[in-house]
Amino acid sequence: MRILVLYAHPVETSFGAALHRQVVSSLTSAGHEVDDCDLYAEDFDPRLSREERLGYHDLETNQGPVAGYVQRLQQAEALVIVTPVWNFGYPAILKGFFDRVFLPGVSFKMKDGKVAPCLHNIRKMAVVTTYGGARLRAFLVGDPPRKIATRVLRAIIKPAAPISYHALYDMNRRTDDERKSFLGRVASAMEAF
Amino acid sequence: MRTLVIFCHPCRESFNAAVLEVVMQTLTEAGHDIRLRDLYSDGFDPVMSAEERRGYHDEGTNVLPVQSHVDDITWCQMVVFVYPTWWYGLPAMLKGWFDRVWLPHVTFSMPTNEEGARPKMHHIKAIAVVTTCGASWWLSKIVGEPGRKTILRGLRALCAPRCKTLYLAHYKMDTSTPESRANYLAKVRKRLSGFGK
Repeated sequence: MRILVLYAHPVETSFGAALHRQVVSSLTSAGHEVDDCDLYAEDFDPRLSREERLGYHDLETNQGPVAGYVQRLQQAEALVIVTPVWNFGYPAILKGFFDRVFLPGVSFKMKDGKVAPCLHNIRKMAVVTTYGGARLRAFLVGDPPRKIATRVLRAIIKPAAPISYHALYDMNRRTDDERKSFLGRVASAMEAF
Repeated sequence: MRTLVIFCHPCRESFNAAVLEVVMQTLTEAGHDIRLRDLYSDGFDPVMSAEERRGYHDEGTNVLPVQSHVDDITWCQMVVFVYPTWWYGLPAMLKGWFDRVWLPHVTFSMPTNEEGARPKMHHIKAIAVVTTCGASWWLSKIVGEPGRKTILRGLRALCAPRCKTLYLAHYKMDTSTPESRANYLAKVRKRLSGFGK
């Protein structure tokens, strides 16, 4: 499959970076064609600008400022997101990818004021993530990042496409062994993706 | 009350800007001491840099890149957010303000083996969210309102134990009418005027 990997972490020596390397290498060795989109390395600006907002619904021109990203998203058959959870949400740089690239005409169409999702080229999705908070706390907060993946994105991509969510919670208190074991689980999941 | 207003919309002629105007008027009339932050017009950068992330846990120095914003959140007793809900969540610009400004040691203590993270923003006793949603009320509930929960549960957990909350949303913005918008502004005025006291 042609897989778009969306990765969001600024630090090369982080555990997030290790997860990212593992995801890319496991997917590649399983024979997939990986488009590795490292949002920090590509210096992606997550701010939807004034001009973009004013032209948001203009299907002729709205893709202009992010045409390259739109093309990569539309060419992908699967999406794998590798990101930390910060403050019970995605880092701004990743949230902005949805704000700016998931445009009318790309991921949905407007029909009589209603949104009709259309990112049906994405037939499979996975999220690999780490939380500072413990799992119970994430549950009590309502786990916004999980809902974005399993409800919002699920509704946009191909109907009934499988979504897997791999999360390591309570990061600040995890041991080396626990991190290694999570990395191993992610590796097997990506090899079988 | 000392009240911090965080405004996040790229267009000053938008409906959100009209909402902000009503919010500012209402708070002024209610006698609040107000600070306004307009993230777009301030040119705020929502991206936490590699250097900031490396120093994220360093007490005392992690606040330096965003000192004036940290001063705002340690000063205020109430926060009012005015923003559009995009993809059921906060605009990246606003999310980045949380990422960069709500730092460890200032807003919470780091968890240890003995105990979990402890909130440190007990001076914030009220949080209001005033937003617009493309989706309907029903759809927002089915999706689980990630944006609302990031603020009213995630952020609130760092504030006073009995921190009051207010959530006002104009749903189905894409089919809104002048009437629905006027009704919403009236509701914002009414609900916000006595809030936080």
